[in-house]
Parts: sequence; C-alpha cells; structure tokens
Amino acid sequence: MAVNDLVIGAVGRGGDGVILSGELLMASAASQGLYGYMVQSYGPQIRGGESSFRARFNKAQVSSPGDFLDLLVVFDWPAYKMFKQELRPKGGAFVLHDEDNPAPEGESAPGRLLAAPFAKLSKSSTGGLQGKNVVMLGVLCGLFGFDAEGVRAGIKKKFAKKGDEVLAKNLAAFEAGLSYGRSNATTETKNVRLDYVPGPPKLVLSGNEALALGALHAGCRFYAGYPITPSSEILEFMGKNMPRFGGSFIQAEDELASIGMVLGASFGGTKAMTATSGPGFSLMTEMVGLGSMMEIPAVIVDVQRTGPSTGIPTKSEQSDLWQAVFGTHGDAPRVVLAPSDVEDCFHAAVDAFNIAEEYQLPVVILSDQLLAQRKVTLPSLPLDKPVFNRRQPAEADLEGGYKRYRLDGPDGVSPMAVPGDARAIYQTTGLEHNEKGEPTSSFHLHEAMNEKRFKKLKAIAERYHYVRRYGPEGAEIGILAWGSSKGAIKEAVASANAKGLKVAAFIPELLYPFPKHELEAFIKPLKRIIVLELSYSAQFYKYLRTFLELPEERVLLKKRSGGEFLGVAEVESAIEEAFQ
Amino acid sequence: MSDQAARKPNDYKSSLKPVWCPGCGDFGVVAAIYRALAQLQLPQEKVAVLSGIGCSSRLPGYMATYGFNGVHGRALPVATGLKASRPDLTVIVAGGDGDGVSIGAGHFIHTARRNADITYVMMDNQIYGLTKGQVAPTTPTGDKTKSTLYGNPDPPIDPCELAIAAGATFVARTFSADMKGQVEILTQAIQHKGFSVVDTISPCVTFRGDDQYDFWKPKLRPLPEGYDPSSRAGAMRFCREEGVLTTGILFRDERPGLVEHQEQIRKSAGFNPASPPKIEDLVKGFYP
Repeated sequence: MAVNDLVIGAVGRGGDGVILSGELLMASAASQGLYGYMVQSYGPQIRGGESSFRARFNKAQVSSPGDFLDLLVVFDWPAYKMFKQELRPKGGAFVLHDEDNPAPEGESAPGRLLAAPFAKLSKSSTGGLQGKNVVMLGVLCGLFGFDAEGVRAGIKKKFAKKGDEVLAKNLAAFEAGLSYGRSNATTETKNVRLDYVPGPPKLVLSGNEALALGALHAGCRFYAGYPITPSSEILEFMGKNMPRFGGSFIQAEDELASIGMVLGASFGGTKAMTATSGPGFSLMTEMVGLGSMMEIPAVIVDVQRTGPSTGIPTKSEQSDLWQAVFGTHGDAPRVVLAPSDVEDCFHAAVDAFNIAEEYQLPVVILSDQLLAQRKVTLPSLPLDKPVFNRRQPAEADLEGGYKRYRLDGPDGVSPMAVPGDARAIYQTTGLEHNEKGEPTSSFHLHEAMNEKRFKKLKAIAERYHYVRRYGPEGAEIGILAWGSSKGAIKEAVASANAKGLKVAAFIPELLYPFPKHELEAFIKPLKRIIVLELSYSAQFYKYLRTFLELPEERVLLKKRSGGEFLGVAEVESAIEEAFQ
Repeated sequence: MSDQAARKPNDYKSSLKPVWCPGCGDFGVVAAIYRALAQLQLPQEKVAVLSGIGCSSRLPGYMATYGFNGVHGRALPVATGLKASRPDLTVIVAGGDGDGVSIGAGHFIHTARRNADITYVMMDNQIYGLTKGQVAPTTPTGDKTKSTLYGNPDPPIDPCELAIAAGATFVARTFSADMKGQVEILTQAIQHKGFSVVDTISPCVTFRGDDQYDFWKPKLRPLPEGYDPSSRAGAMRFCREEGVLTTGILFRDERPGLVEHQEQIRKSAGFNPASPPKIEDLVKGFYP
C-alpha cells in the first residue's frame, strides 16, 4: 500500500537543525521530480525559540501546506504542544522522537509513537550530538522509504563548502540513521510510502527567490534595501547576484535612503528595485509620491507581515493593502501587483518592471510572508517572458525643444531622456510643473498634469488582465480573495466541486488599477459571494466596495487577523456556510 | 555644444529666474557653480545637480544641466543611487543646512562614510527661510527665531566638523560673497574623487537681518599659511569656532569610495563585461 499525499513536520528548538532537515527533504523530493511545498516557522527569537517545518509531497502539484500532518518528528516536547492539534485526527499520524527524550509524563500523543536513537547514533557516528537531525533524516528514509540518494546529494551540496571532515561526519550520521531505519521498518511504516514514479528534477524556490530572479530577468541592475523580516532574502540574493550581473547593490542606512537611491538610479536610466515589509514601506511612502510626481519607473516590494508596528514579524497578514494602494500624500497614481504563488512572484517582478518602465511610475508588489518564505518545487521558470524598456525621446520628440512632461503623449506617457543625452537635458521636480518640468503654481496645469498621470492607470487597466480564476462557469457561489490565500482556496474549490457544490474563485493579481469589469462579470450570476481575507478590518472587502456594489445580504465576509495562514478546511467550511 | 567651443559660465545657466529674495547669498553660490563648471569645461549633459527642499534646493532648476529637485532631506541617497549606477556623470548636490544636517543628517553621515563621489554644496544660512524664519540646526545658541521666541536652547551643529568625523574626504568652508574663493574651492571639490562637502555661509537677509554681510565679513579668516589639510585632528581645530569663521580647504584625504567599491565588488563576484552571466545559469543552481 502507498499514499498519494504526505505531510511531514518536525518541531524543535533553534539549534536542533530542524529547518535544515526540511530543506534536505525538499531537495530529495525535487531530485525525484516530486512536487513539494514547505513552510518554516520560527519563534520571534533568533536562537532558542521554537522552530519547525511542515513539508507536503505529492506527484501532482499542491498549492497548500496541507491541514494535517501524517508524520511529526519531535525534538522538543514543550514546542510539540503547539503542533499537536495539527496531527491527522483519529490516531492517523506517526510521532517520531528520540528514545532518550521520551514524551513527558501525562503528554498524550494522538498518533502512533515511535522512538529512535537519534542522539546515540549521532554520538557513535560523529562523536557529537550535532548530527541528530541528519540521523533523523536517515531514520525517516529507512522507515518510510524516502529516497536516500536525493538526501545524500543534498547533504553533499549543503556541506561541501564546510570541508571534507564536516561532510564526512554528516554522511556518516545519515548512513547510521538509514541503516537503523531500514532494519526497524514495519508494515505499518511501509504503508505510508509515497506512490510516485521518479521524473525529471525540479527547481526548489521560495517566493522571495523567484521574485528576485524575475527582477534580474527583467533587467534590474540596481538594488538598494534595508534588512527587515520577511523580505531580507531578497536583499541577500541581490547582494550576492547583482554584482555578478554587473549591477550595483547597496545596503542603505534606512528605507528612506533605499527608495531614494532607487529613484536616483532609475533617473539615471538603470532599472532599480527595493524590497521591504510593512513598516519599511511606511517610511517609503513620501517618495512613492515623488516617484509618481516625477514619473520615474521604480519597483517596490512589500512582503507583508502582521501589523501594525512590529506585530508578528514572522507571520503573514494581508493588512498592507490600503497603504500600498492609497499610502502617500496627494493624488499619486501607482500600480499594485499581488502575486499569489511562487511562480507568480517571478511573473510579478517582470510585469512590475515592464509596467514601471513603459508607464513611468512606481509599481508596488505586495507579497506576504507565507508566499515569500515558503519553498516549493517547480518544473521550470518562464525565462522567455518578454521584457520592455522605457521610451526615450526620438528625433520627432525634440522638435520645438524637448518637453519631458508633454501632455499630448499616448496614454499620458511622455518620452524620458537619460542623463548623458545632450539633445534632451531637463530638470525634474517634485513641485507641480509645466511640460518642460519647470515649477508652476497654476491650478490649470496641476489639473492637466494630474489628468496626464492618471491616464496611465486607465491604459494599464485596459491592457492588463491579471486575474486567476478557478472553478466552473455558472457557479452559484464565488470566492473573492487575493495573495497567498489562493493556495488553500484553489484546493477547497476543487474539493467542493468534486462534491457537487458549484463554486468558483476570483483572485486578482492586479490590485490597482483594479480589473473592475472582470470582477463585475464574475459576480453577476452568483447567488452568494464569499470574501476571504486575513485583515481584521476587512481592507480588501472595503476596498472592493470603493468601486463596486457588494450588498451585505449577498456577501459572506470571512475576515480575520493574520498570524496563522488560511487552511483548506477553513475555506471549505465557509463554502458550506454559503450554501446553507 | 561642440567640444571645440569653450563653455562659458552662462552656458550652464537655465532660462528660469531664481525665486530667491534680493540680496540672498544663494545668487552668489549658483554663480560660482556656473563658473566652476565652465572652468572645468564639463559637458552640460554629463552633469546632474540634485537637491532636496528649501530655498537653496531650488538651485537645480537654474542649471542647464540635468537636474532633480526631490523631497526634503533625501537628496544624498538619490545622488548616491545615481552615482553608483552612472559613475560617468558628475554629480553635485545643492541644499540648505536644515536639509543636510537636520532632516537629512542620517544620510549626510552615511554618504560621508561611503565616500560617495559627490560634491555637496551646503548653503548654510542658519535659519529656515522657505518656511519663514524658524530655528535651524546651525542657529547659534540663544538666538531668537519664530520658533525659539525665548532663545534657541540648543548648540548649533558645525557641518564641517560632522563631515570630517563621518569620513568625508574633502571638507571646505567658504562664503557666498567671496566669488574667487568659492570658485577655487568648488573646482577642486568637483575634481576630488570622493565625498566633498563645501559648507558655504550664504546669508539670509530676510530672516537673519540685512546686516548679515557686515556681520560675517570681519569674521572671515583664511587658513594659516602652510596649513596641512591632511590631518583630521588639525582640521577639527577650525570647527566650532567662536567669533571667527575660517575659510578654505580644512580637510583632504584620499581613500577608495562608493564607485571604486562597486567596481571591486563586481570584480570579486566574477563579473566580466565581455561575457556577462546568463539568468539560465543562475536558475540552474536552484535544481537539487
């Protein structure tokens, strides 16, 4: 017997090597061509807090981390308490622990308890306790039949830089665990073996990595940023790779400087980006206004976490929507994109640069912790995605003198000269200006320039239709949601339709300007509309109501704080409620 | 303009008429910048002048070079982004003391630390002029302004002292009515590879009083004969002076900065312009 879907978790304290073991399992799955989806969780402490991973494997693509664990490895019983309720109910899960670290008196495990000598085998094979996590991986492979060769390859890749001795010790720990696991495997453990045929290897990527790769593909050659969880992986990726691609990377003194540097580089003709989280974006909003006024292409990533203020820095929320769409002084058009899975993070980055360059305005990408820090396996990335550049003045644009902000350009776009071009020298300003860029306090020019700047949004709304839609035509119930919630919704919609409940979902990936007509067409035939979001104040629902009637009697609003991601069961119960 | 025809100061001047009050020191500063650029014969299209907000920050609009008049206090980061990505351009930042050492003080320190190859002309008038007369970070202790009716309780910041301490590699002080001295310092500041700070006392006759020129002139002192600007400690002796104002190049040092570091980092990362890497190769690294 074998299973089609497997969810494995491990929980311990910082220093137990839990996260690394999850990464090695993902590498192994990817080498077998399996689909994987892994989330990691840390307490807010840097070391010593609880630390865990949950990884789901399947031969078909999965879009959520799964609601229940089939197998949980426990390194730390106090931390286990927080994960106990995630075990598959009715004793359907295995709980594996070190035989030297038995469950405390009175701790009931709703699953089948298995003990293995992690510490002992680590000592005998490496001389120390540091190999416990790698022993554990060996035991898992032995007991449950995961691909050992893939884990071995992962260990080699991970530890190659640390020298032969460290590598040899880790391999020895793995083999010790593997041979223990193999000789202790039972029919029961063999029954949770994943059913699959190995295929071509897959990529392992996080949302942050996919986004950064997309930026490089789009031609981004300048990055400035300031570290903030959960966006720092983008900063680190750029610090490593931007110079390799001939670009510039600067860790700025703060977020004000980050966005300032980005605007400076882009003014100079270089595609530029910064990434931050909600608090950092708040610091940047003054210069979102400047970029909008000066019409400078710029890409700003906000990887959302719970707020306000420091909130829960390591957990997702969808509560930066208003600040992304509305945040800044004045009437300042910008574009807001919201990718909803890892592959879309790549698309969003390329689209963001394309839109910023063609329409000369700031583009915000709203990601979130669950999307940014999850790791998934993917067959490939669309590296043939087209890339656009800004329009520079042609000879015809210079007749009668270059006008940086000419009002008669198509879609409000006027050609932008790059310093060094002797034909089209101009001075730009955050003051309201005339077509040449000279300061003005004329009401009429202010009105005309506002119209020019907002015309671009109209053109973008007509041209781009970024919506992900799931479920059948003619559905009775429709779900409206955005961002990382898509994963659970996609699975819940599929399972509901399989049960005969006609449900569809509408996930906009362009949040501003909003694909209003598509949404109108989607909701028209619906009997009921479910709005699902992780924002206590229902920012998404209220935002939709700024341009659309959404009568309360037709709407089932399911909103709550972030801090825990949306589960498939949670969506399913909302669907059932809507059908009642 | 062809390279053969010599560029004159007026060739760097735009057609806009400055908004400054009659008698404002900033007229002298912008005139000195025109002359310094003409002396260096820099092509207008290869020069970018950036600023923040304040009376003096209107300056980029009066230049016939590329210009960028941004938001309050953030001219230096914008200039840093531009210079890092376009080292071929001559980047000049102009602005007031409030812009530079109050709201933008954090950036001032870090731009100095990075030794970004930018020339920073600070028009120091010891008052907030654009907002009509509030206390500035450089206003002397005890002075009454519109926001310190009972006297300024705090000591002033000396921008030169701060620049030297933070790692700027060219620090000078000059006076807006001293055209010869300004042009001499500005040409050297622009040529200097690294962060150059030119603290220019530029009187605000509207909010500091129309006797400002008479007030400053007797206080000006050139640096002593044979002064050696290579000593940081020596330069500090001419900062925070009482009753006198020493002008000239207080400090000068050479060390690699932003532009050299970016080049070095690209080299360390293995970038070769002749065969730039492919994104496909980078993606390959994400397969197990």
